[in-house]
Amino acid sequence: MLKKGMGLIIVLVVLAVAVSGCFTKGGTNLKVGMVTDAGTIDDKSFNQGTWEGIKRAGEELKVETKYLKPGGTTEADYMKEIGNLYDAGYKFIVCPGFKFETAIYQAQDKYKDAKFVLIDGSPHAGDGKAVVKENTVSIFFAEHESGFMAGIATALQLKEGEVGFIGGMEIPPVQRFNWGFQQGIQYANANLGTNISLKAENVIYQGSFDNVAAGQQLAAQMYDKGVKAIFCAAGGVGVGAINEAKSRAKAGQQVWVIGVDVDQYSEGIYDGNKSVILTSAMKKIAQAAFDMVQAEKDGKFPGGQTLTFDASNNGVGIPDENPNLSEEVQTKTAEVFEKLQSGEIKVSDQRGNLIK
Amino acid sequence: MKMELNKEYVLALIAVVLGLLAGAILMMLTGNNPLQGYYFLIRGGLMSIERVGNTLATATPLIFTGLAVAFAFRTGLFNIGAAGQMLAGGLCATAIGLSFAWPKVILLPTAVLGALIAGALWGFVPGYLKSRFNVHEVVSSIMMNWIAYWTVYYVVPGYFKGPYLETESRKITEAASLKVAWLTKMFSGSYINLGFFLAVLAVIVIAFILNKTTLGYELKAVGFNRHAAEYAGIRSNRNIVISMMISGALAGLGGAAFYIGYASNIQIGVMPSQGFDGIAVSLLGANSPWGVFFAAVFFGLLHSGKGFMNAMTNIPPEIADSIIATIIYFAATSILIERCWDRLKKYLRGAK
Repeated sequence: MLKKGMGLIIVLVVLAVAVSGCFTKGGTNLKVGMVTDAGTIDDKSFNQGTWEGIKRAGEELKVETKYLKPGGTTEADYMKEIGNLYDAGYKFIVCPGFKFETAIYQAQDKYKDAKFVLIDGSPHAGDGKAVVKENTVSIFFAEHESGFMAGIATALQLKEGEVGFIGGMEIPPVQRFNWGFQQGIQYANANLGTNISLKAENVIYQGSFDNVAAGQQLAAQMYDKGVKAIFCAAGGVGVGAINEAKSRAKAGQQVWVIGVDVDQYSEGIYDGNKSVILTSAMKKIAQAAFDMVQAEKDGKFPGGQTLTFDASNNGVGIPDENPNLSEEVQTKTAEVFEKLQSGEIKVSDQRGNLIK
Repeated sequence: MKMELNKEYVLALIAVVLGLLAGAILMMLTGNNPLQGYYFLIRGGLMSIERVGNTLATATPLIFTGLAVAFAFRTGLFNIGAAGQMLAGGLCATAIGLSFAWPKVILLPTAVLGALIAGALWGFVPGYLKSRFNVHEVVSSIMMNWIAYWTVYYVVPGYFKGPYLETESRKITEAASLKVAWLTKMFSGSYINLGFFLAVLAVIVIAFILNKTTLGYELKAVGFNRHAAEYAGIRSNRNIVISMMISGALAGLGGAAFYIGYASNIQIGVMPSQGFDGIAVSLLGANSPWGVFFAAVFFGLLHSGKGFMNAMTNIPPEIADSIIATIIYFAATSILIERCWDRLKKYLRGAK
């Protein structure tokens, strides 16, 4: 067996030598690559948002695009895919998610002639001390402001009743969504005449971003307890909640989900043209990805910088079109958004005395 | 005996070729050139010394989990809990690595030993339940997977949390890591680590136990026919527990190779896919230690070459995953091929 096996190895090696002859590099055109985080490219969330921005850049700016899906979520898996993109000539690499932080920290040194965009994180060696090199841009979003606007819109539309929150993992970006949402509800109750309650038992972190079945169960429990709308910042878990809401809505029950990251309206469609998505707490990821590619095209890549997308630069907020919100609610929400932009309203990114 | 090994080898090769053909058909169906696809797949796995290292590093945990499954198979047990045993081993190794500030020569072996013991413990439970209460090991070892999963979920954020992330442990220190500078340098920055040598050692030891010791003989006898073995005076209950413990220990070592070698910390909420891939590795390797070794290296090549194939062709990652899964699927059906082979031989003999 051993001897035979050696034969196999020799064959493989010979093959490898044989095939390593010709290797042509691509043209001078900018090639933009992306490595996906845990989850699929159509996760209706981070991966999808980033990829849509890159695709748009591909069409409008005539750059070549490609995404790769790592085999796991360790630093080694990420580094391998970054290496694959680099070796294939993709030297502008966008990575969505904080999990890339340590990989980008290494990659920015290892591939000095490549450029990196890290969305929702900043490169560091595993100690939390950010080191953004000249060939890297680190992008953050003000999730709390986005959650706040979703809270305002939800409160205004529902006027009274209970709402809930389902989070994925209990990590800072998800927590900020939650805290912002709670502040939005509080603000609306105090200043806009609504009467919405959010009980501690209805604020739950499921613990993953991919357990669709668990999301469905959690949502079912909350709706059974009389919750009218659930804000889901939970990736695939949120998809489960949306499914539950859809089947209840079809049966005539009035339940809502507030989407996250991207405008999830189309995910909640049932019976032809109705949707269970009340509104969405958006992070304009696609815009951020597109902007970075464009900046590179124009020779203005903001290397070495850490950028924050928040209300003041229109980087977060609810969608422009919300078919499930009344005109009046939309106008009022827009007014609050302006106050947020001008700094008249401040939303805290800390827990303070909020729930979880 | 010699003949039999030859046959198994041929069957495994046929299975691989069939798998590659099936993958090629899938590539053609999606409008890609299979030759080009495989060309980049192989290049991706082997075109530089760094990539060779990464291929071996990817294969390392698979060697362990493949061995674990194969070993249990030989005793007639289906250990589907390699993922959980890996987690238990990885968690234990990480915990030891992060808790003590000993020099590397003491700390690293302790961590590896801890992984071995934790994995053995995780294998012991289903083994004991099987021998004592006849609880089917498939059910109990799957349950043990989830116990390990949620234990990690609780322990890591509670006790070994990184300074900035809730979802993973602190980074393992250099002293507790299977990654060593000279090896990384030799393979120009690849993720290969001492785990690979441990895996080779494990293959040799397991081959020895199975083929040259009384214990191995007894274990195999129980695997062939439990009742006959008992009739012959072999205590099958004891052997079942021992087999599951050794199997678990191997998977636990795989956990060490993965979490303190390939990766540098342990993440919560992730069931390692290597645990299940180990089943396919074991099937392709015909449950023999060296067969498992080469099957694991083959899978490592597929997994680590895939990304480069994606990058160089228009094959989307999802299709690439399906292609790899198809190859694995066919590769794991060597039993079917064996039947066809036997029938063919009978037919040829009849024709004479």
